[in-house]
Amino acid sequence: MVTSTSRRGWQGGRRDDPSLAEVLYVLQGRRLLVLGVVLVLAGTALLFGLFREPVYTAEAAVSLAPQDELDDEEAREAFVQEVQSVVVTEDLLWEVMDQTDAKAGIREFPELSDIRPFVTSGGGAGMLVRFSGPEPELAARAANVYAKLFVERVELLDGGQLDGGVTAANAAVEHKATPPERSSLRPLIFAAVAAGAGLLLGGAAALLLEGRASGWRGVRDAELTLRAPVLGTIPDYSPTEDAG
Amino acid sequence: MDPGSPVRRHYEDLANNLLSLEGIGSVVVTSPEPGVGCTSVCVGLGAALAGMGRRAAVVDCNLDDPQLHRMLGESNFVGLTSGPDGGKSLEHYGYEAVPGLLIVPTGPVPPGPASRLEGAGIEQAVRDLKKGRDLVVLDAPVAGRVLRSPTFSGGFDGVLLVVHASRTPKSLARETTDDLLDSGVNLLGVVLNGCS
Repeated sequence: MVTSTSRRGWQGGRRDDPSLAEVLYVLQGRRLLVLGVVLVLAGTALLFGLFREPVYTAEAAVSLAPQDELDDEEAREAFVQEVQSVVVTEDLLWEVMDQTDAKAGIREFPELSDIRPFVTSGGGAGMLVRFSGPEPELAARAANVYAKLFVERVELLDGGQLDGGVTAANAAVEHKATPPERSSLRPLIFAAVAAGAGLLLGGAAALLLEGRASGWRGVRDAELTLRAPVLGTIPDYSPTEDAG
Repeated sequence: MDPGSPVRRHYEDLANNLLSLEGIGSVVVTSPEPGVGCTSVCVGLGAALAGMGRRAAVVDCNLDDPQLHRMLGESNFVGLTSGPDGGKSLEHYGYEAVPGLLIVPTGPVPPGPASRLEGAGIEQAVRDLKKGRDLVVLDAPVAGRVLRSPTFSGGFDGVLLVVHASRTPKSLARETTDDLLDSGVNLLGVVLNGCS
């Protein structure tokens, strides 16, 4: 009997990429390998998620307005950076640390803070104040204290001239940071992502090994690999196999 | 072939599959690499056809490594290479191993053997052999050489690729199949030899 692949249709088909049926067949044949890789990666990620200290990030926003109107976005951005360079000093950071109770976890402030200027097309400018910490409340408190102290120090400039020649600004806390939600699903999310990566990695390894293998599992294997009909299978019976 | 042989049925299946393909009177049997059992497949196929009451011929065209006469324990004094010079049909240079099955060994292997099998002579000789036979099986060199030979790749009705179930790397078999098809060879299908 001629097996599943029809003689007329198979010769002209596209043969460059493996077909879905071929991939699924290989994955099924090497399911233990794929499953092993998935389990190892997912397990590692799950443990990592369970034992790693979580990091929560909270964000506050401070708006800044120069007393002289600036039309150009670039000028507004330069203005924000100028104010930041004047106001943000080591002293400010120490004060944030003091008021935030740094002993509770924020020991490496500079690494855990992310202060970015922003400008809007509507003429607004300001700063996004992001803080990260092991507790949601701590991250939010740090962001809010920083924003509050920043605004206070801008007010102390009191209309003075900055280096760029712009008159100093009015500042206000645009929005306060709220503690991010605690996620108990985080380890599971890590595990799920790792399982997906394991499936890809295990599948790739299975396909690679399959390409190098010299053991054929039967007619279906040969037809899927060669994409040609198998017209016959001869069992390994002959006591003296010829060399031809 | 021994009627009680456990492989008989498998060769008969192969023979039936080939006979079911229209317009196939001569088939080139090749493999991606040496040592996969091409010659035994050719002999088994020929024997199965003969056992089914058909007439068949097996011609050893592998001048690189003639095996047919060795497998059958016969001499190789005359055969395929004698045909073009002797002016007689290949039947005169072979012998009937069992009723209905003609065996034609390579005959003496000349220097530069590959070139001896090129050209219309061999094609005509096989065409003559096909007359009155259901199938002429050509035990050919490895696929790389078949691809380089216009006679083997296009001079006959089709090509059968033999792969060994435990020796032939899948990548090599796939590459060979692709090469054969890309070259426009009428690949009839595959024989999986040495299955467990």
